[in-house]
Amino acid sequence: MAGLDRDRIIATLLVLSLSGIVAGCAASASGKYFGLTTPPSENVLRYISGAEPESLDPALPNGQPEARILMALYDGLIEYHPATMESIPGIAESWEVGEGGTEYIFRLRKNAKFSNGEPITAKDFVYTFRRGFKPELASRNASLGYYIKYSEAYNSGHAFVKGTDGKFLLKKDFVDSIVNEAESKALPLAGDSEFHKFLDEPERLTIPTVETDKVKLLDSDPKLKAAVEGKELVPVKAEDIGVEAVDDYTFRIKLYQPAPYFVGLLGHQFFRVVPSSVIEKFGDRWSRPENIVTSGAFKVLAHRPYDELIVVKDPNNWDAANVKLDRIEFYPLDEQTTMLNLYKAGRVDGIYNHTVPGPWFDQIREYKDEYLLHPENATEFYVINVKKAPMDKQKVREAMAIAIDRDAWVKLKKIYKPLVDIIPFGIFPKYEEAREKVYSEELKKQGSSLDEWKARKFNAEKGRKLLTEAGFPVQQSGSGWICPTFPVDDVSILYNTTESNKATAEFIQAQWKQNLGVTIPLKSMEQRTLLPMVNKVEYQGFTRRGWVGDYMDPFTFLYLYYSPQNASATGWWDPKFDRMIDEANSTVDEQLRFEKLARAELYLNQQQVIVPLGVPGTSWMKKPYVKGLYPNPGTLHAWKFVYIERDPAKWDKDVDNILVDKDPVVENQLKVIMASQEEFIKTHQAVKTAAAE
Amino acid sequence: MLKFILRRLLLIIPMALVVVTLTWGLIRAAPGTFYDSEKPLPIAIRANIEKKYGLDKPWYQQYWMMLSNVAQGDFGDSLKYQGQSVNEIIKRHLPYSATIGIIAYLLALALGLSAGIIAALKQNSLFDYGAMAVAMLGLSVPNFVFGPILVLIFALGLYVVPPARWGGVSSIILPVITLAAIYAAYIARLTRAGMLEVLRSDYIRTARAKGLDEKTVLLKHALRGGIIPVVSFTGPALAALLAGTVVVERIFSIPGLGKIFIEAVLNRDEPLVLGIVAFLSILVMVFNLLVDISYGFLDPRIRYE
Repeated sequence: MAGLDRDRIIATLLVLSLSGIVAGCAASASGKYFGLTTPPSENVLRYISGAEPESLDPALPNGQPEARILMALYDGLIEYHPATMESIPGIAESWEVGEGGTEYIFRLRKNAKFSNGEPITAKDFVYTFRRGFKPELASRNASLGYYIKYSEAYNSGHAFVKGTDGKFLLKKDFVDSIVNEAESKALPLAGDSEFHKFLDEPERLTIPTVETDKVKLLDSDPKLKAAVEGKELVPVKAEDIGVEAVDDYTFRIKLYQPAPYFVGLLGHQFFRVVPSSVIEKFGDRWSRPENIVTSGAFKVLAHRPYDELIVVKDPNNWDAANVKLDRIEFYPLDEQTTMLNLYKAGRVDGIYNHTVPGPWFDQIREYKDEYLLHPENATEFYVINVKKAPMDKQKVREAMAIAIDRDAWVKLKKIYKPLVDIIPFGIFPKYEEAREKVYSEELKKQGSSLDEWKARKFNAEKGRKLLTEAGFPVQQSGSGWICPTFPVDDVSILYNTTESNKATAEFIQAQWKQNLGVTIPLKSMEQRTLLPMVNKVEYQGFTRRGWVGDYMDPFTFLYLYYSPQNASATGWWDPKFDRMIDEANSTVDEQLRFEKLARAELYLNQQQVIVPLGVPGTSWMKKPYVKGLYPNPGTLHAWKFVYIERDPAKWDKDVDNILVDKDPVVENQLKVIMASQEEFIKTHQAVKTAAAE
Repeated sequence: MLKFILRRLLLIIPMALVVVTLTWGLIRAAPGTFYDSEKPLPIAIRANIEKKYGLDKPWYQQYWMMLSNVAQGDFGDSLKYQGQSVNEIIKRHLPYSATIGIIAYLLALALGLSAGIIAALKQNSLFDYGAMAVAMLGLSVPNFVFGPILVLIFALGLYVVPPARWGGVSSIILPVITLAAIYAAYIARLTRAGMLEVLRSDYIRTARAKGLDEKTVLLKHALRGGIIPVVSFTGPALAALLAGTVVVERIFSIPGLGKIFIEAVLNRDEPLVLGIVAFLSILVMVFNLLVDISYGFLDPRIRYE
């Protein structure tokens, strides 16, 4: 009898589970939504945030997963617009830029507070900035702020050179620069101080204090060596860098040269304000859950690493009245299948960017109300080590770049659009306009055309011609091509072990084999092993790279190739390009600057130091009841705009239009926040016009 | 006996230090650093980082510093997770792995032992064939297949348990079953083989000849010898389970030690890798010692001097 019962139970279970599978499949095939769509009972957002955050100290981590979390916990001078990522007022109510473009003044709101209730003043920003550049903190983000006067020198442990007469050596006497410092005028409104005068003086020369570095520099420059001889070295201190609290609510930043995108950069976590009292008290333990004090819309409630980070609305925040969620639960998770399972089972409300696995794409794409595929401020490309033969020949590089069928690659990769330039499209409309114009003009001068330029996304014939011209003749062989003289052993395609990168590497190998008759060997390596090899340019041939812009300006992509120690990982550097960039960045007029940048980009594109492949799209999901969460170009979310909509009639529909269809709730909130800066610009204009009259 | 235990315990210390040294050498030999990322760092920032973590000193100084700290049980701070000590990370994540591991092993023991004993007693019966077939299946289906199948049915089909993450009893059901399956299968096969061998041995025949009833023969004599293979298996198996199982922890996103360990290696987080390896090696050595001691109780032929 007992046996029979057991058999019956097993049979029932089997039937039940089978029907479960069938039901599950049916639901996913025909349902309007991917899995369950019951909003959480509380006013809470459950969001999968990617890898476990390295630290909750905003100065330290440089990854995107951390950036998103830190945006909830800390406020900066500015905040990112939730949909466009433009700068909107944060703790700074308004800001203005000095005439030369090197001085910025921020007026802070008076009701900003840390989570422990202490007021946030300009002094806290001075502390935050100085701390960020402290060599002992060793922040990997520090170079983001190197435009701030003397910050690089302080961060690198450099020193001023003081003569016996008390005068310091000046940079302009030793280094060529196109920046004319006499042109940059101080803002009259700011009041004056000794420190301000010091910052407005011509930039001083700084040299390394570490003996070996100093000797190396001086040996390479006899003029400098003679000038430094017998003079006193005065180490650059934190107090020397170009940030100043003019009064409690006025904060001034001085750059050593104009950087028109600088305000947009200040939304980065590195510049968000941290509490000095807590940091001085607890040292590197300050950001632990039991000690942490924050400055953002949310504060830490609990942190269980690798499991969850729970943040709750901070009533002390200046904008608390407009923060709609009571709580955000961040789940640090990076297994793609697991996170989609959680999403489908209705246990999370949103997942971070680039999380839909390739094989799932076609199925997920059907969920029009949930899947977010929008242009991203990023590019995917192959870098070339231009120092090693045969890739040191520009024609060889051009041949390889043009012989890849990007339309076919895009079909393989699903979420990409083909790209032949360095700066992506779909992100900076004004820049693209300028680029079209400049390219048409310049290419015409060179006897080419914009259409011919755009056709570079694939032209096998041209590729073969270029390779032949470069000294590696391509010959027909049966139905295919061969290039017997090409030294394939001196070149390789290096990629990390990720499945998607492998697919791209194999695709490109096949393209070159088919179109040029060269079979470049593939080489796969674990990421940590590959990175130093690429960063030090010790690889040969090609390796895959992606770049996500740090801020909303095209320069974030050109920056990679700027300066002799650039981060391009190609070994390429050209002073002509640097000069073009400097000229562009010291141009105040936006349109003119974009045109100059476009000229620099064209020059760089034509050197073909990289093989551009495509612009990625965002690829993530959110439940339709989550509103105010946008696929902006950096997928960085200002969480205070996010809310849970309980009325299904108001849920997001067809999220392909989510950036166009304005949400009145978010629009109103934005209007209130942006009023202070708009007001300022208006009165400022009026003052200016009156003065002119 | 006491001398034996003391000797073995003392041996653990130099062995752990050897393990730590070898691991340190291996991490150092592996290319790549914890701070490299896709965004190349300026030279000055690299120098700042190397100075902060003492990486600018000669290797023997770094080795000596590491060894003297480790000898005092202090592995220092994680390189990746700033402001967190290695000891605290291990302490924090061990309970997750241990909870799932111990429950899974108990479940596996209960299932495996009973199935194995019954199969041995009813050798060549339908139950024997059935149980061994299921065990074979359990052994040959890897847990990265078995786990997702369970998720598909119970979490995404019936929506009765969460598909992943830690939190409450319902969340550990699937990982425990996934983990237990393979161990239950293995234990069943070990028990059956062990019991069959013992049941045929002379001392069981003697016991029966003495006129002992079947229950005493089985429980007092046969079982003690029959489960010795299971006991030898239990030592390392339990150590491995306590320390976390990488695959199951990843599938179900459980913040256990196994997951932390893999990430630490991938991140080149040297102090964390050293800490976990040292902890694991000590754990394995202690469990092996316990196994050796238990032999003395189970098998009267073994005596420790």
